[in-house]
Amino acid sequence: MIDLMGFWLISLPGFAVPFALAAIGLILCERAGVLNLGAEGFMLMGALAGVGLTLNGTGAPVALMGGALAGVALSFVFALLAVGMRVNHVIAGLSMVFLAQALTSYIATSQRWTNNAFEGLRPVLYGQDAMVFLTPVLVLAVTWLLFHTRFGLALRAVGENPAAADAAGIDVTTMRFAAVLLGGALVGLAGAYLTVAVTQVWVDNVVGGRGWIAIALVIFARWYPWRALAGAVLFGGIEALIPRISAAGFDVPRYLMQATPYLATLGVMIWTAWRRPTSSAQPAALGRHHVREARG
Amino acid sequence: MGSMRMRGIDKSFGGFKALDKVDFEARPGEVHALLGENGAGKSTLMSVACGLYAPDSGEIEVDGRPVQIDGARRAVELGIGIVHQHSRLVEAFTVRDNLALFNPGRPVDDVMRDAQAAARDLGFEIAPGRLAGQLGVADQQRLEILKVIVSGARLVILDEPTAILSDAEGAMLMELVRRLAQSGRAVVLVTHKLHEALAHSDRITVMRGGKRVAEALPQDMTPQTLTHLIVGANVAEAFIPSGAVGAPVLWLENVFVPGEGRQRGLAGASLSLKAGEIYGVAGVSGNGQAELAAVICGIGTPTQGRIMMADRGDITHQGPADRRRQGLAAIPADRYRHALAGSASVADNFAVPGALAGAYGPWAWFNRGIMRRQTRDAIARNDVQGVRSTGQPASLLSGGNAQKLVIAREFQGKPRVVLAHSPSRGLDVRAAAAVHDRLRQARDAGAAVIVISEDLDEILLLSDRIGVLNAGRIAAEFDAPADRAAIGAAMVHHEHA
Amino acid sequence: MSTPETATGAFAIVPRTGRARAAWQSLRIVPLLEPRQTVSRAMRATVYLSALFLAGVLSVALLVWAGVPAGDLWRELSSVAFNSPRALASVLAQTAPLVVAGLATSIAFRVGFWNIGIEGQMILGAVLATAVAVYDIGPEPLRLPLMALAACLGGMAWIAGPGWLKARLSMSEVITTLLLNYVAFNLLLHLLYGPWQDPASRFPHSEQFAAAERLPRLGWQNLTWSVPLAAGLALALWWVMSKSRLGYLLDLLRHNRHMAHALGVPVAGISIAAVLGSGAVGGLAGFTIVAGIESRLTQDFFVGYLFSGILIAFLARNNPVGVVVAAFFLATLMMLGQSLQVFFGIPFALIRLIQAIFIISVAGSEFFLGYRMHWRRAA
Repeated sequence: MIDLMGFWLISLPGFAVPFALAAIGLILCERAGVLNLGAEGFMLMGALAGVGLTLNGTGAPVALMGGALAGVALSFVFALLAVGMRVNHVIAGLSMVFLAQALTSYIATSQRWTNNAFEGLRPVLYGQDAMVFLTPVLVLAVTWLLFHTRFGLALRAVGENPAAADAAGIDVTTMRFAAVLLGGALVGLAGAYLTVAVTQVWVDNVVGGRGWIAIALVIFARWYPWRALAGAVLFGGIEALIPRISAAGFDVPRYLMQATPYLATLGVMIWTAWRRPTSSAQPAALGRHHVREARG
Repeated sequence: MGSMRMRGIDKSFGGFKALDKVDFEARPGEVHALLGENGAGKSTLMSVACGLYAPDSGEIEVDGRPVQIDGARRAVELGIGIVHQHSRLVEAFTVRDNLALFNPGRPVDDVMRDAQAAARDLGFEIAPGRLAGQLGVADQQRLEILKVIVSGARLVILDEPTAILSDAEGAMLMELVRRLAQSGRAVVLVTHKLHEALAHSDRITVMRGGKRVAEALPQDMTPQTLTHLIVGANVAEAFIPSGAVGAPVLWLENVFVPGEGRQRGLAGASLSLKAGEIYGVAGVSGNGQAELAAVICGIGTPTQGRIMMADRGDITHQGPADRRRQGLAAIPADRYRHALAGSASVADNFAVPGALAGAYGPWAWFNRGIMRRQTRDAIARNDVQGVRSTGQPASLLSGGNAQKLVIAREFQGKPRVVLAHSPSRGLDVRAAAAVHDRLRQARDAGAAVIVISEDLDEILLLSDRIGVLNAGRIAAEFDAPADRAAIGAAMVHHEHA
Repeated sequence: MSTPETATGAFAIVPRTGRARAAWQSLRIVPLLEPRQTVSRAMRATVYLSALFLAGVLSVALLVWAGVPAGDLWRELSSVAFNSPRALASVLAQTAPLVVAGLATSIAFRVGFWNIGIEGQMILGAVLATAVAVYDIGPEPLRLPLMALAACLGGMAWIAGPGWLKARLSMSEVITTLLLNYVAFNLLLHLLYGPWQDPASRFPHSEQFAAAERLPRLGWQNLTWSVPLAAGLALALWWVMSKSRLGYLLDLLRHNRHMAHALGVPVAGISIAAVLGSGAVGGLAGFTIVAGIESRLTQDFFVGYLFSGILIAFLARNNPVGVVVAAFFLATLMMLGQSLQVFFGIPFALIRLIQAIFIISVAGSEFFLGYRMHWRRAA
């Protein structure tokens, strides 16, 4: 029992970090009013970049940075569609997931990166890698950026009331672009961490729905970074429990057990919505395009 | 400092000429009223002044220097500030954050010190930590004014500032406007209210159809001459009393509905609508108007109280479908939310009641040919202008014609009860008069008509009986002809109790 | 009178002060966006076809870049679909489930319900249909109809939850329907690695269905009744959407559901019917594959249908007849992909990439329907 707990606690941060990074990235983006359903895709891009760079011997830190850049690259396409061309945010987000699934699968196959295990990020302290310690710092940084800087004030204004921000001289489109790219970097980093530090191998769709769970996590966190970190620990804890339970020899149906993170996510979402309607917490202009209003 | 001169401003949208060689001048220390109907071009002109639109041609001078105002930020740099008709505050932000947002590049503490000082000069206080969304409408407006003053505005444009205020709040605002001018700023007061321009301005410019038709001093003008300039013709509308008031048709007994957000909702509203009578509901916005309209339509459900209908009994829990079967017709306030689907065609909008009643065939066969034919007939009968084809989207209709389309649909059958909520909002004088005419016709045909409006002039013009909605209940009732001052007093009495 | 709106500076980052600003002023050309009031049919068609053309050109370029000789591409394409009855038959066999999945997606999209749980609904439909087959429920002549009915119920059950959560708790259906895909998939694996595993081969799929549990053959090539089934369903839905009162009311709901409610349209009932209908047809798509193609429950029969369903619904503008056309196009593309994989070693993911290009291109093209752009010097 002690072993179970111990292994569980040691493996927990590895599961929690991708959720936390992806969630704060999404919060940055959605606080500016851009609904981001492409998280799964951004994570895949980051994950693949991490694998490719590590396999080519760059070392883990560069691989993680590369993952963040890959996230930025895809979020540029997303921003072009959702912000620049005013495509419906849902369609734009979904098409990013499809694009990333196809693109990563194609690149991984043609480069023969699939099922090619490697050694990625190594632990530095208490069996944990550096990103585990860096993640709370990043959460702090995002909180500071959003709530204690002029940039954050403007970013949130764009997400709450673009017309007001426009009247205050803020270029709504530019601001949203910036938020999408910045957020995309963090979501890409989350994906890179997943492969470079956790799985240390590429298989198609390695992200396996974690991007969607991160989106649910943002709702659960009511768009606050610290709550997202707490939620990430919760969800990471649930995910970390699954291999531990079978390793400890409990006889539970394996595949039904694997469905629990998704069921737990649904449960947490329902509980969140039950307590207080989500609409009261989300940025008022989330998912809405801004075009200047005119009266004759 | 603070003078602005616009010369020969042209602006078109697509093929529509919104501004046609307009001249306008604002002088320091002066309140300049910009008067005109909806669609006359007032707001467009002011949007050009504050950098939201680039004019197609024309010149703008600020303090004697020619300038190009290519954005909101540039306008602020030039000392031009605008307070929009609809609040441009971030409601989720505090007063402090709203002021900081609008004054970038300066330490927040400096901004707040300036704001406190300016507020004191203008005669009010601010609470920096309160959420803007929790402020009352009048306080929000003061905050908006403060926002632009702190950012260094020497020219302050107020777009229809009293539209959503009570008479008392409006009077206080006008005092503030006077102080702004006395502090050496130029003030532009955009309004469609004659008496406001006559009583509170130093100069009046009248616009009509995108053109400037007159610039004059208030002492040289009378309400009659101004009306003629604004409308371009004499449209005289007068109160016509009902010929025969009948028995009660629909009545509310002590109805309670919780309000949404800052709205008060209904708290014990009782009223009775009689056949052949127009019942006007006066009141300051946010005192339960939206909820009253909703419960009468069957969209909202009371938590307490009953709604009764003659020879139908208790209809409290009936939805809109049942109410309509019993002869309810509704002209809602929010036209493109509750009355029309803007992206759907004119025919699709007109045909809803007919479709539900099976007028275009059974469930499995929907005959669009009949639907289009009926729509064409109704459009002709009701004088809906600007319909090139029944397939064109309803959003392309002008406000007045969209309202006529709603009326054409709602008055198809002979309604027993007619609800009209702000029926002339956004319409010009002629269109408003046409709508009022149709309401009187419905009344004379024996319907019980209820008109809910925040425009007291409209209420006085239409109503045989007036109820004042205050804090969610009918606080007082008056028979026509009613005393305007007494109604005004009932509207604000115990408002904060 | 509402006048058109304008917006400036889609991509402009403006220097704040001084000479940089002055220099910028003289150079700055910004796109001015002006929303269009009306869009003519011809304009709509032109923009749509241009988007398809652009996506097509990009796809061909991509394939050539990936190593398919440009000359062979056309030969491959035509031989895949049109050179022989057998080729046409295999494309049609592939088209049928795509039509059903596309219809399922488009029904929900038509009322503004983002059902992206089509794969989960397909799995549940297939699982319940298989249960009827595995446990020999009902007399043999009724076995197939019972399987189809069970599939509809399975799909409906899987979408009912998200529908209810959206109506009651305003929870976004995008996330709930999607998460349920993963739950359904794990349920499928549980069954295929557990109680339903084929005892003969020990492979993770169910036993082969008996003859009475498979869609009968048409008698032309290898085609089964899945093809007329899909065509009939498309026809029926076309009638509902464009010839019945329900179709009119469904469209009204999409345009403005508040207005529809205020005018007495049974908004809740119609929405529930459409959402459950979408789920039922999704379940039926699963049935079409297991009973019409695979003849057993497999662990990957549904893969890719979420994406394909959305692409088809999107290309078809949610029109049932359009769904048939788009599904045929997609089936041809997939057969082409399989053939390229065999003969040129091109990964099948490239076909998915081409699908993504099509969806992005068409989604992006709507910008030109929504707005008019003027490039002009900022004044």
